[in-house]
Amino acid sequence: MTDSQSGQVDFDQLGAVARQKLDSATDDAGVRSVEREYLDKGGVVAELLTRIPGLEPSERKAFGQAANALKVGLIEAISGRRGELAEQRVEEALLAPGFDGTLRAKPLDTGSLHPLTQVLREVESVFSSMGYTILDGPEVELDYYNFQALNIPPEHPSREEQDTFYLDRDHKLVMRTQTSPVQIRAMETLKPPFRVIAPGRVFRNEQQDATHEHTFHQVEGLVVGEGVSVGHLTFTLKRFLARMFGGEPKVRLRPGFFPFVEPGFEFDMGCTFCDGKGCRVCKQTGWIEFCGCGMVHPNVLQAGFRDRKDVDLSRLSGFAFGFGLDRLVMSRYQVDDIRQFLSGDVRFLAQF
Amino acid sequence: MKLSYRWLNRHVDLSGIPPEEVARLLTLHVAEVESTEPFAPHLSAVTVGHVLEREPHPDADKLGVCRVDVGSDQPLQIVCGAPNVGPGQRVAVATVGTLLPGDFKIKKSKIRGVESIGMICSVRELDLGDEHDGIWVLPEAKGEPVPIGQPVSEALGLDDTVFEIDNKSITHRPDLWGHRGFARELAALLGRELLPMDLTLPATGDGPGPAVEIRTSLCSRYLGLFIDRVRVEPSPLWMRLALLATGGRPIDLLVDLSNYVQLDLGQPNHLFDRRRVSEGIVVRSAAAGESMKTLDGEQRELAESDLVIASGDGPVALAGVMGGEDSAVQAETTELLLEVANFDGLTVRRTAARLGLRTDASARFEKHLDPLAVPVAAARVVNLLREIQPEVVLPGPATDAGDWTDPSSEIQLDPGRLRGLLGSEISDADIAANLRRLGFTVEGSGPLRVGVPSFRATRDITIEEDLIEEVGRSIGYGALPEARLLAEVAPAPRDARRELVRKVQDRLAGAARFHEALGYSFARASVLEQLGALETPHVTVINPVTEAESRVRRSVAETLIAQAVQNVHHTDSVRLFEVGKGYLPELAGESGEPGESHELGLVLIRKRGTADAGFAADALLELRGVIDDLVRSLGIAPLALDPASAAPAPWMHPRASLVGPDSVGYLGRLDPRVAARFELDHDVAVAALSIDALLGAPPLGSPYRPVPRFPGVKLDVALSCEEDRPAAELEQLIERAGKGLVASLEMFDLYRGEALGEGHKSLAWHVVLQADSRTLEEKDLTKYLDRLQRSAEREGVKLRRE
Repeated sequence: MTDSQSGQVDFDQLGAVARQKLDSATDDAGVRSVEREYLDKGGVVAELLTRIPGLEPSERKAFGQAANALKVGLIEAISGRRGELAEQRVEEALLAPGFDGTLRAKPLDTGSLHPLTQVLREVESVFSSMGYTILDGPEVELDYYNFQALNIPPEHPSREEQDTFYLDRDHKLVMRTQTSPVQIRAMETLKPPFRVIAPGRVFRNEQQDATHEHTFHQVEGLVVGEGVSVGHLTFTLKRFLARMFGGEPKVRLRPGFFPFVEPGFEFDMGCTFCDGKGCRVCKQTGWIEFCGCGMVHPNVLQAGFRDRKDVDLSRLSGFAFGFGLDRLVMSRYQVDDIRQFLSGDVRFLAQF
Repeated sequence: MKLSYRWLNRHVDLSGIPPEEVARLLTLHVAEVESTEPFAPHLSAVTVGHVLEREPHPDADKLGVCRVDVGSDQPLQIVCGAPNVGPGQRVAVATVGTLLPGDFKIKKSKIRGVESIGMICSVRELDLGDEHDGIWVLPEAKGEPVPIGQPVSEALGLDDTVFEIDNKSITHRPDLWGHRGFARELAALLGRELLPMDLTLPATGDGPGPAVEIRTSLCSRYLGLFIDRVRVEPSPLWMRLALLATGGRPIDLLVDLSNYVQLDLGQPNHLFDRRRVSEGIVVRSAAAGESMKTLDGEQRELAESDLVIASGDGPVALAGVMGGEDSAVQAETTELLLEVANFDGLTVRRTAARLGLRTDASARFEKHLDPLAVPVAAARVVNLLREIQPEVVLPGPATDAGDWTDPSSEIQLDPGRLRGLLGSEISDADIAANLRRLGFTVEGSGPLRVGVPSFRATRDITIEEDLIEEVGRSIGYGALPEARLLAEVAPAPRDARRELVRKVQDRLAGAARFHEALGYSFARASVLEQLGALETPHVTVINPVTEAESRVRRSVAETLIAQAVQNVHHTDSVRLFEVGKGYLPELAGESGEPGESHELGLVLIRKRGTADAGFAADALLELRGVIDDLVRSLGIAPLALDPASAAPAPWMHPRASLVGPDSVGYLGRLDPRVAARFELDHDVAVAALSIDALLGAPPLGSPYRPVPRFPGVKLDVALSCEEDRPAAELEQLIERAGKGLVASLEMFDLYRGEALGEGHKSLAWHVVLQADSRTLEEKDLTKYLDRLQRSAEREGVKLRRE
């Protein structure tokens, strides 16, 4: 009985069938199903082992060894087959057709930062790295800060040119026409030496067209300390342009009139469109007006630091500059209509 | 202002200095030259012709057929209708192909059957004046007929270059409003001589001078001079061309002469017909109710703040602005009264501004002119006139009235301070030399005593820094060495506001997929009306671009909603935000400045979903998610947003809006009535949050939880209840039933339907259960759901178990 029972099990045949099944398994799931059939709880090998107690004692050892050998052999074979399949997959992946670089998936749905924000961040970052503090000021401004303290008394002709939006009949409150009032606010709160920039929105009562807006953006700069000279101003602006535009910028300083500086300058940069050869952008001059600037007028220092016992005016000098952010952005991206900036049109905004 | 190169040459020898170099020197050292253009380029395109003969046209009485020699092989046959054309004349011929002003191209043509090859030009056709009653008969040059076949400009020596000066760059320089001022600068820059002018008045007769009475302190000097035996005729060609080059329009000799001297010296002057001012001159303020007709034919109502020149009963000129029509020089005028005066700049400016009558004269007076220029200009007028009409006489002496003072002054200049501010090593001697070339006197050493000439001293040069500018621009700012700033400055303090705004922008433009917009600070009346905010108090501009844009926005939302709605025309889904400022008049500060609110506005518009899209397609729900994420990314504790008891802004839905604590702001649906006014059938959610409130909001504690060591189990839970029970109460049930095992829960469905019964809703969550110390088993789930079911039933909530 036991003999015959033992004789009924052809371990070699059993092993061969299992190996055949393994060989025909083409993926991990197939291998796993062979594994389940033979090696899992309740599988073929386990069933064989349950027979051992019923065998003749003399047969038990051999049967046990044979069953165990089958088990060990199958474990190896399964692991080997798994290895083969893995290698095969790697080879197939390597031989798969290359990628068509012109294929495109649906574009990523994203938001966008306004181009004025993007360029302003660059500007702020450049000045921050040069030790400047960034200040803000109110857009609705007192006449005192926007004009009087900046050496622009009530009847000064430059007030007309600025086409101010007034908020009251007494002209005490204005939509600020420039970021320069922040100069005074900086002097009132900071102790020299200091370097600040003040970006912000300004307003001029102008008719709008592709190059004119009644609402636009400026970046004001102010440096106050002992021994500040014209050379420091040139160096600073040149350094700024070099970092914004790259390379060694060509610049020039020429006379310009602004009531709150003396001497006052216009600061030009070599036209980046034509390399100074002359083109439509620079009106054939080779130069583009970058900003107005100058050495802070003594009256402005006096107004800004009035009643300050901790400040010795006789030792102080400073320079100030103010440039238009909108024009910088327009030239950076070749935007041809300034009115796009405040349009809120997603077809414009989403491009940046 | 326009400058003529030829004109400058009358005051300084510019030989060897081409116009381009003049422009460069002026731009770098004096004032901005905006353009440098050749004057009347078409004068080079027309040729000097010699009229050989004029035959009558066979078919037209008024036309003549001319044969004109233009220096080519054959004379040209030209049909001409001018009455004054005749043989022997030198004329300006536009040959076939020439382009004349107004893009008028000359072609070969047939006029009444007779071939005409070219055109004989009139003055007007060449844009040189208004005369058009005949062709322009060319004058002789240097006593000789001009050479045939040459370009007219060359033959007559008329070529010129015009510089356009940026007026803004000379508002502070009264001396630069005439050619002589610029010539003085060029002379200094080139080290050449400023050519002297003959400023002696010729002998006068022994008749009486004009009676002049000044009854105001606003006229410091008034010079009157009679001039007799004057003839009104066209001015000489050189003067007409000079005026044309500088943008003027020649009229007649007297008008042209007055304008010429103004453009030459920058000193306005006026010529009266003497018969009209026979009762003498009175300079006074206008009387209330007084009016006068100015030269432009307009009747002007005067104000008491205006300054007038009166004679007899009434005003004959608006001082410093414009003469009167009644006292103007007429064609038959032979006797003049010349006025050269110094009027108060501010008064002239106010009058010109009030009347909207800004003239070349008023533009100059408002710069504060030098009273010492008055006799100079008078002499210039007389001497030029006598060059042209030698028979002119002065019947009596000039009356030079007024109480002027010489504005010349002296300023101390510390050369060390100059060197410090310019960052230059320039020597005391060079400083002095540069100043002297510009007309200053310099004495002393150490501190220099600098004498400011009268023409620079009225307003322009008053302090030491002004002199430093003179020296700086003379040597050229390009010559100043650059220097790195070395002073230590305190490092910039952290800027919490800027950091927060940047994080807001980055999160919204990034993860939240919003576009950043910037809006105008002015809200349109039509938009405010649609928003229902027209009656809300706004800060207003008293001189707006248009009346509809007088209101300054209170909230970013007022402009952002309108911008978002505009986009609906070309897209179904709009996601916009802006960080900007609004102004609140009711929060005015001590000096009347309105309260400023720094705000984040968000608008989300989407096409209305179909009914069964329900939960996922709700704009407000999505915007809520955006704000929750934003707040979390800012490190702020979740905002407790509660249903608003009323609309938080005029455009918000009164029952579907939430407001946060501490005025942090609101979010909600757009009021359907507002949406209807925008003709919008979309689902619109709006939020406005205060940047200040976000800055002050309590921080989020550490978000860190240990990473789980045992796997969690996911299950879906659906609870149904009556409509008005908030979801948060159901979430509390779900949490509590877990006894600490609920690791996360995420709402994914809101359902209303017949199966639930009227007034009921069902909400569903993905729930993850997780234990710290073991892997959860099936029985844990069963126990959890049983607990949840019991606690839900106690609250009248039904657990929907599949």
